Amino acid sequence: MTYAKDFTTSELMAAGVARQIRNDDVVFIGVGIPLMAGIVAVATHAPKAILVYEGGGIGARTRRVPWTISDNPATDNAIAASQMWRVFSDQQRGFVTLGIIGGAEIDRFGNLNTTVILGSGTTYSRPKVRLPGSGGANDIACSAGRLIIMMRLQKGKFVNRIHYLTSPGYLTGPGAREKAGLCGKGPKMVMTEKCTFGFDEKTKEMYLQALHPGFKAEEIKKLVDWDLKVNPGLKETEPPTEEQIGIMRNFDPMGFILGAKSSKIETFDEFYQKVRRGYQAIKLNR
Amino acid sequence: MSSKVTTLEEAVRRFVADGCSVAYGGIAGREPMAVSYEIVRQRKKNLTLVTDTKIDTAEILIAGGCLKKLECAYIWIGVVGSGHNYRRAMEEGIPHYLETEEYSNYGCSMRFMAGALGLPYMPIKSLLGSDIITYNPRIKVVDDPYGSGPLALVPAAHPDVAFIHVQRADEDGNAQIWGMLGNDDNIARAASHVVLTCEEIIPTSEIRKIPNMTAIPSYCVSAVVELPFCCHPLSVSGYYWMDIPFRREIVAASLTRVGIVSWIDEWIFGIRNHEEYKSKVGLERLARCRQMELENYQIPRIET
Repeated sequence: MTYAKDFTTSELMAAGVARQIRNDDVVFIGVGIPLMAGIVAVATHAPKAILVYEGGGIGARTRRVPWTISDNPATDNAIAASQMWRVFSDQQRGFVTLGIIGGAEIDRFGNLNTTVILGSGTTYSRPKVRLPGSGGANDIACSAGRLIIMMRLQKGKFVNRIHYLTSPGYLTGPGAREKAGLCGKGPKMVMTEKCTFGFDEKTKEMYLQALHPGFKAEEIKKLVDWDLKVNPGLKETEPPTEEQIGIMRNFDPMGFILGAKSSKIETFDEFYQKVRRGYQAIKLNR
Repeated sequence: MSSKVTTLEEAVRRFVADGCSVAYGGIAGREPMAVSYEIVRQRKKNLTLVTDTKIDTAEILIAGGCLKKLECAYIWIGVVGSGHNYRRAMEEGIPHYLETEEYSNYGCSMRFMAGALGLPYMPIKSLLGSDIITYNPRIKVVDDPYGSGPLALVPAAHPDVAFIHVQRADEDGNAQIWGMLGNDDNIARAASHVVLTCEEIIPTSEIRKIPNMTAIPSYCVSAVVELPFCCHPLSVSGYYWMDIPFRREIVAASLTRVGIVSWIDEWIFGIRNHEEYKSKVGLERLARCRQMELENYQIPRIET
């Protein structure tokens, strides 16, 4: 195994989350970078992991990254093509062991906002910034066995008080999820482009777990609004391997998901040829 | 019984009245873009879109000024870009403000389930503890009378009309879906009327060969429209890929109100129907979107 030398922060995030997927996991995949993390995991160390997509796709073995959670590859070589209500019900019933979602704003208990950003004089129905809304994120955060959150660490996004609680983390702290009636166990990790955060077993508060290569705890603390606790045995994140990076670039040759420079396609013809070559590069392992 | 087979223009004229509620099938894949184009072209107003997640189809309805309200979980574009038209409507009231009644995708799913079961609501264990409940008084939190703890109740959805695009159907409206189903089996049963659009109309004898693929039986369906490439630039499993460069052009136009108005003038008001749309996109380009899918992923044909 060789570590990659040249990789983007999105690729680092996808590789790090892929490592969290176990061979026996049933994984509910959210939109964005999580789409790539699932593919890398099943193509490397977790071939038996079952990826579940919101549209109803179960266990796809795709040859390119789905461009949405219900794009055609979400049922390409799948073990089942079912319904949205069915896969969410399976999750509520306890079959989904891991959920992976993104967020725009997060607080110390891992509660997420993807609905509205408010400013002075604005309200929920007349927001400063309107975001997409929950989609399936609330359901995944409520009911997946364990939860991983992927988002970028920027000032003003890791806040004391989120504007709107779209998807529950540990709500107000220890015992709150149970009291609210939620089935899932809550967030285990937040993967950012600078570091990873974990959640304290007792207090349920988010702490700095590991730093990505080149980052220091002090700069992370400055970007987080609360007094961030730091893991005493702070480690450095394992970089992506060449194999992981190779898989990502084959499955997403235009960087639609991971935002590579090559995503600046100009014409339909270029699009057609690039994706076609991407497909041909992938050997289907049924 | 008179034939259910009709044109899209006629189906929209007949089933979409100003102020009514509309549902769409699919989610990204199989979202009926041509229906959004036609609703905008016929200048329908004050509609409520009752849905789960919708991407480009919702953006077009919002930009076209057709909606009054959204009952939804997620409205955006996705990896191609942001929901600029949704943002402009909600943040600036351009072309006008929209009312939102929000749920999660599972919440929306179970609203259609309740509608399909003829029950007033469904209990779920999502949404609890979130602000989705704070801002949506139609979600009720109750204690399970059997003692398991709190439950969120979501009200049944009964849209006036649902437009559901499928891969193939017969003339009676027996609809077969390939790939993910979304909530379409329940949407079809919850709606007062279903307009089925399909890639191909096939004989009932072909439907009978793979009855497990029939997601919607004909008794749910009011009208059938054969409409190949209905979902372009979105995708249909087993038929064609997403045309990402085309979607990017819509997103680029959507950066400003002037931009999207001129895009709509050109691509919706500037042409008469879906046939002209296909010619304008380019038949060769559409054929390549189909080729990309067929090389990799097809509905297995059963020979007799």
